[in-house]
Amino acid sequence: MMIPLLMAVHAAEDDTSLVARMQRRDPNALAELYDRYGRVTFSLIVRVVRDAGIAEDLVQETFLRVWNRVHGFDAQKGSIGPWLLAVARNRAIDYLRSAAGRQRQSREFEETDLPALYCDMEKDILSSHKARRVKSAVEKLSPNQRHVIELAYFEGLSQTEIAERMGQPLGTVKTWVRAALKNLRDELGAVVPA
Amino acid sequence: MNCNELREHYELYAIGVAEEPERSEIRAHLNRQCEVCMQGIKRAREVVALLGGTVPPAVPSAALRRRILASVAVEQRRFGWAPFLAAAFAMALFAAVYFGGRERDLANELARVREQNSRQTIELTAVNQAFAILTGADTTVTTFGEGQANPKGKVFVSPSQGVLLIAGNLQPAPPGKAYEMWIVKSGKAKAAGMFQSAPDGSAMHMQRGSVENTDAVAVTLENQAGADQPTSTPLFAAPIRALIQ
Repeated sequence: MMIPLLMAVHAAEDDTSLVARMQRRDPNALAELYDRYGRVTFSLIVRVVRDAGIAEDLVQETFLRVWNRVHGFDAQKGSIGPWLLAVARNRAIDYLRSAAGRQRQSREFEETDLPALYCDMEKDILSSHKARRVKSAVEKLSPNQRHVIELAYFEGLSQTEIAERMGQPLGTVKTWVRAALKNLRDELGAVVPA
Repeated sequence: MNCNELREHYELYAIGVAEEPERSEIRAHLNRQCEVCMQGIKRAREVVALLGGTVPPAVPSAALRRRILASVAVEQRRFGWAPFLAAAFAMALFAAVYFGGRERDLANELARVREQNSRQTIELTAVNQAFAILTGADTTVTTFGEGQANPKGKVFVSPSQGVLLIAGNLQPAPPGKAYEMWIVKSGKAKAAGMFQSAPDGSAMHMQRGSVENTDAVAVTLENQAGADQPTSTPLFAAPIRALIQ
């Protein structure tokens, strides 16, 4: 069951200057980034891999990856948090797939070549207020819809793999996934303006 | 495919379950900076980003912050020790200017090299931690499966630093399955991470952190997603406490 992460992911009023300092290779900026997003990043990764030691390795890898790729992020455009979490999720899922002997699914393109895709998001998109709204939206999903979203998001399963895991026809799973995403979009309309 | 046909697939793409050919089509649109798809994917990513903020809170160790900052310092020192790298970088910068438009490729290559460096630092950290368990003053060694064709190996337990499992004859897990290590204490098994064996049957797995009063270390075959409690008979179990006492 998802519980909102009511921890301090402060509104990123100063993410712009933080990103600019990271691009100038200021190690103190990396320390600030960790202080701002370290806990939520660890929480997400440990939820995926369910091992605190491995999660710490992956958090380290995530922050170093962002540190090394930050040149591609537009410092003038919003919070770096969503990109950081996307990198964290991808690192964790890649680990999970690797540990489980599944073929690694390359997510390099989305997360690194185009960090611009994470710009322009609202600066406080990861605030606790919004986490509560999302929790509420997720709780309104049917159990099957919630399950398929969790398998897709936290385990990185494809729709075919979800169907196998749940023992359901692929068509049924596709219907649940689409319905879940539509319901989330409808519920979060006020949070994520179109 | 045009943007209108792809619109319904933006969120599937953002959460990672888009299928072909839509997945490749969206990538192609993004690659050529298609404004409609860029905007659509950004909005879809916002929903996905929000999901990331809903996980149960967990707190990393205080040492993690130091590790991350130290690895950046190591990276910077390494570059300082290697003047030829600085020269290569300067030449690369010149080439980037000269060839105009290739800056991004160059920056990505530099990032790749840095990442390789960082990954080696992380691996070195793991090796150091394994070494610390192997050489710990409180470390005990338990041998299991000796003289058998079945899995055999050694378990190193340092109550203050963690458990290191080194095994052989551990057949690669069937598709959809993985090995899971368990730390057994007072009759209760606590999950201690998933791992796979190499094609030659060898495996190494480490669980860091305090493992005081461990009675045994066991390994089971589980679904690849892992289990909170063992769901099958242990392939092997190495008793620990008797040797510690």
